[in-house]
Formats: sequence, structure tokens, C-alpha cells
Amino acid sequence: MISVSHLSKRFRKTTAVNDLTFDVRPGVVTGFLGPNGSGKSTTMRLILGLDFASGGSATVNGQRYRDLVQPLREVGALLDAKAVHPGRSARQHLRALAASNRLATKRVDEVLELTGITSVADKKVGTFSMGMSQRLGIAAALLGDPGILLFDEPVNGLDPEGIRWIRDLFQSLAREGRTVFVSSHLMSEMALTAEQIIVIGRGRLITQGSVDELTAGAKDEVYVRARDARALEDALRAQAVAYRPEGPGFVVESLDAEAIGDLALAAGVALSTLTPQRASLEEVFMELTADSVEYSATASERP
Amino acid sequence: MSAKPTLVSVVHSEWIKFRSVRSSVTGVLLTLLLTIGLGALITSAVRSHWSQSSALRRATFDPVSTSLSGTLFAQFAVGVIGVLFITAEYSSGSIRTSLAAVPKRLHLVVAKAFIVALVVIVVAEVACFVTFVVGQTIFSGVVPTASLANGAVLRSVILAGVYLTLLSLVGMGLGLILRQSAASISVFTSLLLILPILTLLLPQSWQNALNRFEPSQLGQSMMSPTVTANTLSAWSALLILVLYTVVVVGVGAGMLERRDH
Repeated sequence: MISVSHLSKRFRKTTAVNDLTFDVRPGVVTGFLGPNGSGKSTTMRLILGLDFASGGSATVNGQRYRDLVQPLREVGALLDAKAVHPGRSARQHLRALAASNRLATKRVDEVLELTGITSVADKKVGTFSMGMSQRLGIAAALLGDPGILLFDEPVNGLDPEGIRWIRDLFQSLAREGRTVFVSSHLMSEMALTAEQIIVIGRGRLITQGSVDELTAGAKDEVYVRARDARALEDALRAQAVAYRPEGPGFVVESLDAEAIGDLALAAGVALSTLTPQRASLEEVFMELTADSVEYSATASERP
Repeated sequence: MSAKPTLVSVVHSEWIKFRSVRSSVTGVLLTLLLTIGLGALITSAVRSHWSQSSALRRATFDPVSTSLSGTLFAQFAVGVIGVLFITAEYSSGSIRTSLAAVPKRLHLVVAKAFIVALVVIVVAEVACFVTFVVGQTIFSGVVPTASLANGAVLRSVILAGVYLTLLSLVGMGLGLILRQSAASISVFTSLLLILPILTLLLPQSWQNALNRFEPSQLGQSMMSPTVTANTLSAWSALLILVLYTVVVVGVGAGMLERRDH
């Protein structure tokens, strides 16, 4: 369990985190979403006691991180996969970490095996690809078999197979009853991985809830099509239904699929397509964070 | 369930870190090579020129500090050992991983300082005793020699190793303060090389008063069996260098403790 309460972090000129309050519960994967620069990494550093809060608090299992006696046993974190001395082997990196928390050395072999990097364990980390580095970072996070896991943008730089592996890993970790907190700026990725979502923008909490709750709030639309498009349009217009043409059919904004079916039957129009379109989490996210994107939409990589 | 981690576990962890990178091994080898190799070179040169040396030169000649001349070069190697042990954590970003594993930041500083000091004192003492013996052997028969049976001589050789050890800790402290390898090494080098040049700009009486407090001059005092004009006694020099070291490492530790990472 991670508890963040009225957490704030001001740097000299900017407020990176602003009165943030949320809990991350065990047993589910919680996605931490926000555009780049919205304060996700700062929040994670505050939780880990790497940065000092300007106000409020962040606790893990009810304790400040800095007061943990054996932190790796309680919290595993992956902030930056490349943050390992490039001249050290993966095994030595993990051994040093294990020694600092008095974890059994055999645990090093276990996590190497678990993350599939045993064969490169004695190679210098500097020679690792991004995917291998991410796996090493995850191995380090799992080293103390902790109940709480934090991952900052873990899928960056992974190939599709790696992404799938990481998704399955997160879900199995959550099923084991662990708290899994994963940040991303990609809503589409979180939609597949996370059950709970916390959305922030410009350091503030925008919304939180389950994926279903978040998408339920968005307006549903129905795509409808008939061989006789004109007759269908007349029928819609006659009932003062809000719609817009799209391709050969129409997107109806104000009626559900059942009502449209009834309407078409009454008007004697045979429908060829009737598809409800739920707004994707991605669209919900775009809508929610539209005001808080720090550098506006000229940047093409913006989600 | 394993036992609770202590400062000892952090020291163990830092030892694994230290020995698992090439720069540490290089630093250690360089310290040995520079101290012993250049010591042998310098003492040989002194021996071959001895017959042409002036009477003054012969009268003020100190076989002890001369045989330890290699430390003048090795001091940069040990400084770099200390600097890199810290700054490599910053340049790679692994300082965050380290602090997440050891949230008591002072434990991390103490453990790192312990490892640096332990490694350097062992290496430096070996290097200093070897270079002393090699130097006296080269001198023997031609140039006056010194013996370890003499207490002041023994003390000088031991303190030469201590001097290198304290300098490696100063390097570590600078690394903590500056967090960048290049900046830390530059400042370290400046303290040893540029500071003596800067004091030349001062009036002679000031120079006489201040020179003795320069780190490199403190080193000379520590590794000379005799006290000469305008220098401190070996023990006073040691005390002052310890003070410098404590201040630099202390400031660095304080900054690590307060800084965001």
C-alpha cells in the first residue's frame, strides 16, 4: 500500500507536484498516467525518499521510505533502467544491492533467471540493449521479493515480445497480492495492463478510478449504416437525433444501439451495420489532460 | 528471513561495487606503479648525479622523503580513486538505486569512505615501504641512506601512506560536493598544484606563513623525518590534513544528506 497525501514538490520556479493525494492498493496493477513532464517521476522519487517533499507526505506500508530498515524487502523500484555503472556486470550490480540489504546471494540467481538475463549476467551492463537493461532493472526491483513495486515508464525501449512479457509479469505480481504501481505516458499501454488508473497533469490529480469507471463517463456513440443511406438519414433527422456522417454511414451521438434499431424498423430502413463505439481510454485521457499538456500539440510524439 | 541490514552490510555492498569496476583496479595499480616506479627512477637519478651535487645539496639531503618522491605522482591516482567512487554513481545515475537501497544516506558515505580508506591505506603503505626499501638499496654505497630502525624514519614512511589515504578521502569529499568527475578531479589537482603557485603571488613573509598549510606541503612535512624552517612537524601536519579531510567529506556528506536525487 502506497499512500500519498497532499504531496507537493516545488523546485525553484516550477511546481512539479501540487497537492497530490491518492492511495495505491495491493492486488491490482495501478497505472500512473500523465503527459510527459506532468510530475510522475517526481512523485515516484518523493515516494522513494530521493527527493524531499515541499509539503504533504508519501508513505509505504504506513512508513516514510527513509525510515525503512530493509527497504528492498518492502519496495522494489525501477526508475531508470540505464542507471547502472556501465562497467559493472549485471550479477555484480545485483550482488552489491543484495548485500546492502542482507538478502541471500542465491536470490540474485533467482531474479536473473526470472527476468531471463542469466546468459548475460556476467557481461558489462554498458553493452546491454535497452530491453536487457529494463530486464535488469526489473530484476533489481524484484530482488528483495517486495510487496510494493514501482516502475517508471517500464515499457520504453522494449520490443513487442518484451512488452507482452512485462504486462504478464505485472499482472501476475498483482495477483500475488502485491502493490504494482506503473507510470506511463501511453494510455493505450495502461489500458491493457492496469486495472486502476491515476491520471495527473501539471502535478495535479485529474482523476482516478478503474479503467471501466473512467471510460464509462465518456460519451458512447453508435456507428450505423444502411444500404439506403438517404432513407436512414431521413429517419434520423425526423426523430431529431444528433448524428454526423462518417464514411458511407453515420455516427449517432444521442441514442443507443437498441433505440436506433427500433427507429430504423419503424421507418422501414434495413440496417447493414449497427456498432456501439465506446470511447477508448486513450480518448478519455486525451480529453482529460488536454488542458495540462505542458508543451502543446506541435510536438508530434505527444500521445 | 535474513538478519537486519546494518552499516556492515552497506560496507560489504560498497566493497562489491569497488572491486567490480575496472577504474578501481586501474587506480590501485597506478598508485603502486607511480610510487614505486617513479621512486626508483628518481633515486637512481640522485645516485648518478651525487658526485656532482653541491655541498648544500648534500647537507640538506633527506634520503627518506627523496625515496618517497613517487607519492607526488601517486597522490593524483589516489585522488581519482576517491573521486570516481562517488562521481561514477552520479554520472551513471546509479546513485538513486544506491540511495533507494540505503535510505540512510550517511551510512552510504561512511561505508564508501571506509572502503576507499581501507583500500588506499593498504596499497599506499605497501607502496611506500617498498619504494623506501628500493630507494635505500639504490642509494647504498653512494648516497647516504636511512634505516627503518630509526623511529622518525619509520614514522615518515608510515605517514606517507597516511597522506595518500587522506588525499583519497579528500577526492571522495570533492566528488560528493561536485558530483562530476572532471570538475572534482580539476579541483583536486588545483589544490595540490595550483595553490602553491598562487601563494607565490603573496609577499614573502605571507608565503612563509601560509605555504606550510598547503596540502602538498603538509605531505612533505609528514614524510620528512626532520623539521625544517617554515614547515610544520609531521604530527601537526597530520592533524591539519585530517582536519581538511573531515571538513571536505563533512560538507560533501551534508550536501548528499540534503540534496534531491
